[in-house]
Amino acid sequence: MRAVASPATGDAGFAVPAARGTWRPWLLVAPLLAFLAAFFLVPLGQVLVMSVTDPEPGFGHFVAIATDGFFLRVLAQTFATALLVAVLTLLLGFPLAYAMAEAGPRMAALMMVLVTMSFWTSFLVRTYAWMVILGKSGPIAWLSATLLGGAPPELLFTRFSSTLAMVHILIPYMVLSLYAALRRIEPAVLRSAASLGAPPVSVFRHVILPLAAPGVVNGLTLVFVLCLGFYVTPVLIGSPREQMIAGVIGHQVEEFLAFGEASALSVVLLASTMIVLGVYHRRFGLDRLWG
Amino acid sequence: MIALGWLVAMFVAAPLLVVIPISFSDAVSLEFPPPSWGLRYYQAYFADPRWTQPTINSLIIATAVAALTMVLVTPAAFALVRHRFGGKGAVNLLLMLPMVVPHIVIAIGYYAFLSDIGLLQSFPGVILAHTALSVPVAFLVLTASLKGFDRTLERAALSLGAAPWQAFLHVTVPVLWPGFAAAALFAFVQSFDETVVAIFVSGATTETLPRRMFDSIRMQADPVIAVVSTLLFGVVALLALAAMLRRRAGG
Repeated sequence: MRAVASPATGDAGFAVPAARGTWRPWLLVAPLLAFLAAFFLVPLGQVLVMSVTDPEPGFGHFVAIATDGFFLRVLAQTFATALLVAVLTLLLGFPLAYAMAEAGPRMAALMMVLVTMSFWTSFLVRTYAWMVILGKSGPIAWLSATLLGGAPPELLFTRFSSTLAMVHILIPYMVLSLYAALRRIEPAVLRSAASLGAPPVSVFRHVILPLAAPGVVNGLTLVFVLCLGFYVTPVLIGSPREQMIAGVIGHQVEEFLAFGEASALSVVLLASTMIVLGVYHRRFGLDRLWG
Repeated sequence: MIALGWLVAMFVAAPLLVVIPISFSDAVSLEFPPPSWGLRYYQAYFADPRWTQPTINSLIIATAVAALTMVLVTPAAFALVRHRFGGKGAVNLLLMLPMVVPHIVIAIGYYAFLSDIGLLQSFPGVILAHTALSVPVAFLVLTASLKGFDRTLERAALSLGAAPWQAFLHVTVPVLWPGFAAAALFAFVQSFDETVVAIFVSGATTETLPRRMFDSIRMQADPVIAVVSTLLFGVVALLALAAMLRRRAGG
């Protein structure tokens, strides 16, 4: 990789932009940086500013968030849901990722197609699908009426429905993270463990699980962080009384134009996300998160 | 474990399929199983400007976003892959930021920011916001493809007397074009699917398809959503099929 053209090593004349001065790469990066500064950092900064200036200067909103029972419940609810969804995607995603790594190439390819198709289908479409499935005139209600002769309990607009839909929507992230780790395990390693007398259970516990650990950490981090800030699904099919933080932020703006309050909650959400990702970045490096 | 894996695979795939029979239902409202079959919801979708206009808006916005994203990201990707310079790590992190900030947070920011500069509910406003959100994914795809590029090809062209721009145009671009195309496609899809920011910053004449779907699901769960879902799902399935055939053909 040292072959990167540099005039000092005698590649002079190859004018594909060479590192003549350090300002040259900056020239190529500058338009993008300027764009992001103007159209991403400024709006983001505005959220931080609004959280302490709207409607009046001070940290009142943060004090309210830290002391008000409603906000504390929303926060607790959000973290608990994100944790639950992350663990459920791991428990469900592991067998699938394992099967993909172990099955023959055709079966693995088929499973991969199913996972990527779900991954590429819009969140809205997947949320709508669950709305149909769990709805009053959906297949579950129909099955329950034909087989049991009665309507099932109310499934839609509950914590159950939004948790289930979020698990379904986020599971591809987990499976792809796990698969990336499991695929790298050399079959020879497993064979040698077995030939040294390890029963399948100990091969799994002492060889496969430790080698899969980076994928587990990646998947949990990714799903947890995505779930923390999830807006669409909880708003559409979650319980109106038990909203997660993103839904409350949107509600404050749409219903009350309470930008200060919404911004303060946004700062809390942003800080939580950044702390999780910051810890990940220090230990593993953020660029690994997307494999 | 493998049998369990298949079970989970079914859980991942099956719920997506439920929208297809619903979209071909002839019932007046949502009903399962559909009492009779027909294309009334397809007719309703294609005849109703409240559905077709957001579709067109989304196509316009996503195309503009893909183009603008590529113009901004391409030079930056070349610089970051091919050069070492101080501050490179920080630049890399900054480029990933739009991907890690929760969309609801930046949506509030865009609402305030775009109304300050008079672009709220305008096409340029939505395009600027979506472009910022599309940068990370386009950048990741493009740098991955750039890292795999064999630079001896450029050197060969230059040593055979090509001018640098000729080497770039006739060697670098043709070799890397699948990477460029993939990056542009990712930017397009990111914008086309983006919901949260669009809910807050698009308006009556600039409403995007996801915003229209979101509002429609929230209001009355209009079965036309099943048509849009089936059509979107069909596009994804076609792309997946094309990718699989390409791989089988050794492309």
